[in-house]
Amino acid sequence: MQEEKCYVYLNGIVIGSVKEPEKFVKEVRNARRQGMVSGEVNIAYLPDINEIHINADKGRPRRPYIIVEDGKSKLTPELIQKLKNKEIDFNYLLRNGVVEYLDAEEEENALVAMDEEHITKDTTHMELTPVSVFGLTVNTAPYPEHNNVARHVMFASYIKQAQGLYASNFNLRYDSRGYLLFYPQRPIVSTRVYDDLHLEKRASGQNFVVAVATYYGYNIADAVVMNKASIERGLARSMFYKTYVDEERRYPGGQHDVFKIPPATTENYLGEHAYSKLGEDGLIEPEMHVEEGDVLIGKVSPPRFIEESIGVGSLEEKVRDSSIVLKKGESGVVDSVILAGTLGATRLAKVRIRSLRIPEIGDKFGSRHGQKGVIAMIVPQEDMPFSENGIIPDLLLNPNGIPQRMTFGHLLEMLTGKASSLAGRLADGTAFSKNGKQVIEESAKILEAYGFQRYGEEVMYNGITGERFKATLFTGVVYYNRLYHMVANKLQVRSRGTVQILTHQPTEGKARQGGLRFGEMEKDVLVGHGASLLLKDRLLDQSDKAEIWICNECGSVGYYDYTKHVPVCPLCGSNNLSKVEISYAFKLLLDELKAMHINPSIKLGEE
Amino acid sequence: MKNEQYKVHPGEPVGMIAAESIGEPGTQMILRIFHFAGLASTMTTTGLPRLIEILDARKEPTTPQMIIRLKESYAKSFEKALELASKITEVRLRDVAKRAVEDFQNKRVLIVLDKQALKAADMTPSQIAGLVEKKFGAKASVTKESNLILKPNVEKPSEIRNFSTRVMHSLLKGIEGAGKAIVSQDKNGEFYITSTGNNIEAIMKLESVDAQSIYTNDIFEVYRVFGVEAARNAILNELVRTLEEQGLTVDKRHLKIVADAMTAQGDVKSIGRHGIVGAKESVFSRAAFEETVKHLVNAAAFGEQDDMMDVAENILLGKLVPVGTGSVKLKVAGDAKQKKQKEKGE
Repeated sequence: MQEEKCYVYLNGIVIGSVKEPEKFVKEVRNARRQGMVSGEVNIAYLPDINEIHINADKGRPRRPYIIVEDGKSKLTPELIQKLKNKEIDFNYLLRNGVVEYLDAEEEENALVAMDEEHITKDTTHMELTPVSVFGLTVNTAPYPEHNNVARHVMFASYIKQAQGLYASNFNLRYDSRGYLLFYPQRPIVSTRVYDDLHLEKRASGQNFVVAVATYYGYNIADAVVMNKASIERGLARSMFYKTYVDEERRYPGGQHDVFKIPPATTENYLGEHAYSKLGEDGLIEPEMHVEEGDVLIGKVSPPRFIEESIGVGSLEEKVRDSSIVLKKGESGVVDSVILAGTLGATRLAKVRIRSLRIPEIGDKFGSRHGQKGVIAMIVPQEDMPFSENGIIPDLLLNPNGIPQRMTFGHLLEMLTGKASSLAGRLADGTAFSKNGKQVIEESAKILEAYGFQRYGEEVMYNGITGERFKATLFTGVVYYNRLYHMVANKLQVRSRGTVQILTHQPTEGKARQGGLRFGEMEKDVLVGHGASLLLKDRLLDQSDKAEIWICNECGSVGYYDYTKHVPVCPLCGSNNLSKVEISYAFKLLLDELKAMHINPSIKLGEE
Repeated sequence: MKNEQYKVHPGEPVGMIAAESIGEPGTQMILRIFHFAGLASTMTTTGLPRLIEILDARKEPTTPQMIIRLKESYAKSFEKALELASKITEVRLRDVAKRAVEDFQNKRVLIVLDKQALKAADMTPSQIAGLVEKKFGAKASVTKESNLILKPNVEKPSEIRNFSTRVMHSLLKGIEGAGKAIVSQDKNGEFYITSTGNNIEAIMKLESVDAQSIYTNDIFEVYRVFGVEAARNAILNELVRTLEEQGLTVDKRHLKIVADAMTAQGDVKSIGRHGIVGAKESVFSRAAFEETVKHLVNAAAFGEQDDMMDVAENILLGKLVPVGTGSVKLKVAGDAKQKKQKEKGE
């Protein structure tokens, strides 16, 4: 039988063929390990298609592995000792064929053992540490190997939203938004990666005493119940910083903005009261309480068009107000004010407002296991369940949130957190460092020693009636993050308000005091119920109702002549018109049809 | 009494409710199709793609299927069922031939036959030669290697090429359009045939077939053979089948409304701009659905009139929608009306 040629591809281009592919690949690898070939070259033999792929180009993700030969790790205890003594470093290992980087293709040829225990005679590589199967973010959570992967993804996105000590120079920074947690704590159950990243210096959460229990239906579907006394003691309290910026802009023609208290003759003058908190320089004074509508930076700008200035008064007096006003629904204390110059030789003002954010109903919290929830009820301490030791949980977590999501790590954290709190030391929850049984038994031992139930259950009493619960409650200590979604920043109401100019329909969005869209599916609901009048109320009466005149003779849209007190049809000149109520959007449609040379005419029926 | 209770109230927007009742479970449909390896059955389109296919009133289903039941005396015998299946299964020359080689110089075509396929189709080369001679009037002979040599009575190379393609596509055996027939056995031990094509007219004529229980998923085939009423039932059956397969329970009456709407005009119309929506009288209704500009321009060009009587137009206008509470109007007695007018006049 004729032997098939094995083609060799360098960066995707055929450069030749070999007869013994496996031997060839081995040779190249050995050369690389000896430093004869660059460590950035990866070679893979793909037996399915009988091809050798050599890659040396950019853009390949690669990860390091410890080389294993003949069932023995090349990273010997001697080398580890030398590493510890700092006689050698990682680069030494790379140069001496102890560690090498593999790309996706070469990984196909490798059999990687998780740790030394799992090495067999076929093993080619070993992970530097089993932890590296997770990313950095996930590795900051304890016991990730006990959780569902989907929860890791969720945790990774929640931790980014956590409030904490986001920067130690927060007091000197003028971030457009900043969330600063009071008394951040390091987690009791930490991980090695968490420590290596020194995240304890930038902690973003606090250790909560948690009981797994329902509370009169107030923690249904991911809601949580919190202890009012805990909150009053400062639990999860945070400060919200917001910076307003403005600049004295220059305009062509030598004119420019001026920071000052605008004179009463200014166009768009907001009223004397609005400017009352400003200092002489037109900037607000520090430590001043501000409410919505208060001016933070008083500024006047030259008129937009030169024509505007032609009229009564000199050009100097004809200015318009362009002050920065505190937005609707916001309030706080002026934290600091700075006045600076820019590269464009203009003056720049920044005003930082701070406001206290005490946890309230609707604020969002999350643990490190993809378990998030909003506060649905803040219960006075005396009404919360309590244990025989008088321990009252900070937070009540609904047990129904656990089984489906399979976040067993959450339960392990509770148990170890509780045990470690009692023992007065930090626990290690690094992935794959211990097996679950070990973790439970270690904690159980400590709990038992301190006179607690072995597996974290507590006999608890109903805070309202004083009755003992028939079941024991699982309690523990969990590291919770306060996420930056807070009702105080989102709350908005509207009854009547601003409308869009084009359509006469209510505006959209919080910033514009907008309404909530009554969309197509909502419309379907009302039609489906036959609720015609309610539908008309939503879509017409509370939206873009308009009264227009329709000519009874030619069917075109007319207008009312208030000087002569008659309606007029501009098309046929008739005064025989009827007033009709339609949606303004329809009038707009008619107008647009006319604009494209389609003349719609309306024949009115009898009322 | 009970019957009265269950009647739909006047002004109930049954169409809207039907649409929502089918549409909402439709969002839960799984696009994934399970494959059962090693099972001798035909793959059919199911789930959302099939639902769309039915509602769009496609002329041909992507996976046509017929279920042919046998008369009682035949149903118990596997051999008889197999015999019928081979009678039905379409065999074209290209199915049993590997390739056709045209010899333009000698004005003949060599057909290289696939021995295995030939055996599976239960045919001999001489049989094929006979069929081709009969059908095309060409001389056919069998070579030593049991291949075919065809001599068409045409001259030009283009004609020879044309001939060879036509021959390759010609039906040698089976029923036109019937596809491939497979014998299956049901729970009662009776054999039946499923086929990947459609030609119920021809199949019903076969002696061993139980003509009354023949089933096809081709709605247009049903329409052609049996008429609109049957097509309406076919639509209903297919909708029910598709939804039930996905484990969705939609009340039959909602589906009946859909089936009725699709067939109410005497033929099968799709739900969409080419079908029943496109046939709506109201300009605004059509413009609000799809191709807004086209409908408005045409309405302007032909001076169309819109009575503003339907739901969509009245929402646009901001009037009461003529369903539910909006479908009733206050009737004013004649003299009261005059009285009102008098008051106005004063």
